[in-house]
Amino acid sequence: MCEYCEMYGGGTKWYLNPDNYGRQLYSRRVPGYVPDAISYRKERDKLWFEYFEAVADEAENVEELNTGLDALIRDNEPCQVVPLQDALKMMELVQPMASMSCICRKYMRAADERSPAEYSCGGLGVGMLKWERWPERYRGGVNFMSVDEAKDWVTKFDKKGYVHCVMVYGSSYGGRPFVGGLCNCDYPDCYEMRHRLDYHLEHHLLRSHYVAMIDYDLCNGCGICAQRCQFGAIKMERSKWDGPKANINMFNCFGCGVCETGCPMGAITLVERETIPELKEVW
Amino acid sequence: MVAPKISIDHTKCTTPFDCKKCLLACPQGVFWVLPKKNVKFQETDQKEPGAWELLAQYRAMCTGCGKCVEVCPVDALTIDVL
Repeated sequence: MCEYCEMYGGGTKWYLNPDNYGRQLYSRRVPGYVPDAISYRKERDKLWFEYFEAVADEAENVEELNTGLDALIRDNEPCQVVPLQDALKMMELVQPMASMSCICRKYMRAADERSPAEYSCGGLGVGMLKWERWPERYRGGVNFMSVDEAKDWVTKFDKKGYVHCVMVYGSSYGGRPFVGGLCNCDYPDCYEMRHRLDYHLEHHLLRSHYVAMIDYDLCNGCGICAQRCQFGAIKMERSKWDGPKANINMFNCFGCGVCETGCPMGAITLVERETIPELKEVW
Repeated sequence: MVAPKISIDHTKCTTPFDCKKCLLACPQGVFWVLPKKNVKFQETDQKEPGAWELLAQYRAMCTGCGKCVEVCPVDALTIDVL
């Protein structure tokens, strides 16, 4: 079982449990407790840099740094892939919902998203009502959306082939974790994806609750799925049939579903990870 | 293999966000640009010298291809393949 479902699922997938959205709003401050996201971020940035340098220099303490950093991320800001079908359900659970500029693309490719048409990151919940306090993060402002607008917004990015990830803010941000964002990611300009795929920091981006499966009879070999896959899990198998067929490596699959939504033949289905014996503990 | 050493001369590279040539050219997405100047309730100016800083954050991914050195208009970058 997904570790977050175990702790915060309440009988459903944790990000579909409304409890996990309102927590920041309703939590009562324990006397003397001060959430300190700034010093957490400073500490995390320092550890990031230390770890990345250690990997580059092949230092001996790489594994040790990885374990420590991953535990910090697990408790403070884990991220999990969600397919479109679940992202749309999330949009019905939470208000306010606002789109804004993506901080990863800004830092990695100096992308300057300045209008609602460009905004690719999403902020969920009451935290968004305080956005004006951080103009550097929310450059150009934010765009508050209705449920239908939010659904259209996610669908738009899904059509383009972006992977949706749910962002969580944990102990350093005020006690128990709450769902704070939904982003639209791609490689290499999403740092969650970079840190998971290039640096093996698992909790930066957990696999979704699904895996993609192909129906060879329906597949016409067009290759759109392989082109859309951000995780390199799909190859075109050349032999056995008249033409090529898509082959999905289910161990590499993150269950984002962009292959499913892009397939013109409806040949790909998302199945629950829990139902696949060897994958149910692979996150 | 130990990754190449990337040195950035910050006296020459003063407005990396505005220039962004290396950030866009790098095939491996090695660089980060971060706001160095943080004033509360203010957005950091992209054109202000020294307000942003270029970092070779993902140096482990560098192949040493030299594309960034090639595109840098102020010759601020050097790569040493060890």
